[in-house]
Amino acid sequence: MLQIKDLKAKIDNKEILKGLNLEIKPGEVHAIMGPNGSGKSTLSNVLSGKKGYTVSGNVTYLNENLLDLEIEERAHKGIFLAFQYPLEIPGVNTNIFLKTSLNAIKKAKGEKELDAIEFLKLVKQKAAELKFDEKILSRQLNVGFSGGEKKKNEILQMSILNPKLSILDETDSGLDIDALKIVSEGVNALRSKESSFLIITHYQRLLEYIKPDFVHVLINGKIVKSGGSELALELESKGYESLS
Amino acid sequence: MDQLKIDFDKVIEGLKLSDENISFRKKNFNQFVENGFPNKRVEDWKFSDLNQIISSNIENLHFHSNFAPSKIDEAIFIDKFAHNKIVYLNGTISNVDFNHEDDTKVLVTRDLSKNENFKEVNPLVSLNNALTASYIRVTVKENYSSNKPLIIYNITTKDLKSTALNLKTDIVLEKNSSLKVINLFDDNSENNFINIVQNFDIAQDSTLKNYKIDHKINSNIKYCYNNINLEKNSISENFILSTGSKFIKNEINCNLNDEYSSAFINGILNLTKSQHHEIKTNINHLAENTKSYQLIKSVLNDSAKGIYQGKIYVDSKAQKTNGYQLSKALLLNENTEFDGKPELEIYADDVKCSHGATSGNLDEDAIFYLMSRGLSHQQSKELLINGFLLDAVEKITDEEIKILIKKMIGITE
Repeated sequence: MLQIKDLKAKIDNKEILKGLNLEIKPGEVHAIMGPNGSGKSTLSNVLSGKKGYTVSGNVTYLNENLLDLEIEERAHKGIFLAFQYPLEIPGVNTNIFLKTSLNAIKKAKGEKELDAIEFLKLVKQKAAELKFDEKILSRQLNVGFSGGEKKKNEILQMSILNPKLSILDETDSGLDIDALKIVSEGVNALRSKESSFLIITHYQRLLEYIKPDFVHVLINGKIVKSGGSELALELESKGYESLS
Repeated sequence: MDQLKIDFDKVIEGLKLSDENISFRKKNFNQFVENGFPNKRVEDWKFSDLNQIISSNIENLHFHSNFAPSKIDEAIFIDKFAHNKIVYLNGTISNVDFNHEDDTKVLVTRDLSKNENFKEVNPLVSLNNALTASYIRVTVKENYSSNKPLIIYNITTKDLKSTALNLKTDIVLEKNSSLKVINLFDDNSENNFINIVQNFDIAQDSTLKNYKIDHKINSNIKYCYNNINLEKNSISENFILSTGSKFIKNEINCNLNDEYSSAFINGILNLTKSQHHEIKTNINHLAENTKSYQLIKSVLNDSAKGIYQGKIYVDSKAQKTNGYQLSKALLLNENTEFDGKPELEIYADDVKCSHGATSGNLDEDAIFYLMSRGLSHQQSKELLINGFLLDAVEKITDEEIKILIKKMIGITE
């Protein structure tokens, strides 16, 4: 599904990613762990197309050169980034935003757009699954949401948009244990043979709930070690120091 | 100026006026002739040099026109929205219709001699006093709430060119009465100067809601002067949608004359190309326990220019005043300009007054967030701009009119 070869990324002339290699096959869950400043968020930004980076290397996604695609084209083709810090958008109603987003993606895929009634039915169902109070969805997008509500809203968007490749950027940060469970259940419900996940996290905690197939350690812009889910436990006990 | 004198004489000849009225008009005429159109050396006009704007946009400005009023295109009237009407067609009152009201409770007069009640506060008001041929006064009687809004249509047709129009409206709300007014511009003409003076006298316990909509793109130059007098426990709510004309300056002078009166002025400047719009307010707190709130939101594109000059004056008698103003501007292009000039002049010591202003570009991170959800750059921008404007629109307290205005500016829900 996704092949990353020798990916380098610079911002303000500072090299953050220094030759990263990674392959994700359909249905796989990969976790990337690493200390602060190792390039985790840069990786998720570059994969979802954020401007401002000078990027080199090859990234192939579903047999296309991902780096040539615009931000929204990546979304249309099934890439979803759950933000570490979801933006507050004043004046934009959450439900309207969700519907605009879903229909933009459906339109790009050549599928029939949902009308208001079909959409509300879908949202109700998905919100209930995530134990997310629907009333929040009539409020302005993320404005005044608690940290947990913002993260749940990201997972709600993910479950409505039903992406092929979901990138979760420190989705566990700022979540209490109950919210963490709900969010993890939401992610697990989306796991399938066709959909893949890239989970970026500091801590092993999230991986207790979402069991990864592979764990990679990112230090100083490169993956320095890869292994199975047991690698996360090893990191938890020994720290990143032992690998750098 | 020679043309002006000839036109003035024609206006006087054409109207059947009393000697008093003629001398009132002559006095005002001379006042305008002495000063001319305001230029940037006049403090209140330093961001908008009207003299220069008129001379560079209008050739051979005429001050008198004898158009036979053409037939009104009924399609202009707002559909499926019951309302009363006053229609100005090319500056002439062509239709007055208060069918929704009790005609003993809403009175209309077009007696030109009432024009003399207007003070000569500035050269443009003097020009209006001297030349206006279309004056209307609407009086809402004591204890009467009008059933439906009044829409004042300001329609110009495409045969109107290089002409100065001087319109005057006078609205009187007697005690414990209410009225909603929509001033709606529908300009199909080019390069005219439209000078509108409106007065509102709002008696004790009365409420006026006044919504001004200049939304249709046109090349006319406009000045609108509103004077508002508020008595005890009365309310004036104003909303300005300023997006259509080449140039428009909306000036509001509001006198909070007695206790517990309050004034709300909210507005949107949404400009493109070389549009140049200004909102100028003078809020005069002249009694205890009076309130004023102002929120102006501006979105500027291309090489547009937006200005907000907001003054709050608090008299020494006006203790326990609440005066608040906020201006936020989005500048979408480096060639745009926004000038904000807040002024607080306070002579009382127990008051709460504040002002604030911000300006900046759209948040790139917010655009990235929306695009990462599949929205195009254009869609993301529109969503953010509408979101930015929404809180000014949400200040409109009349739900029906709020929906109407949201539709006009393309905010969907």
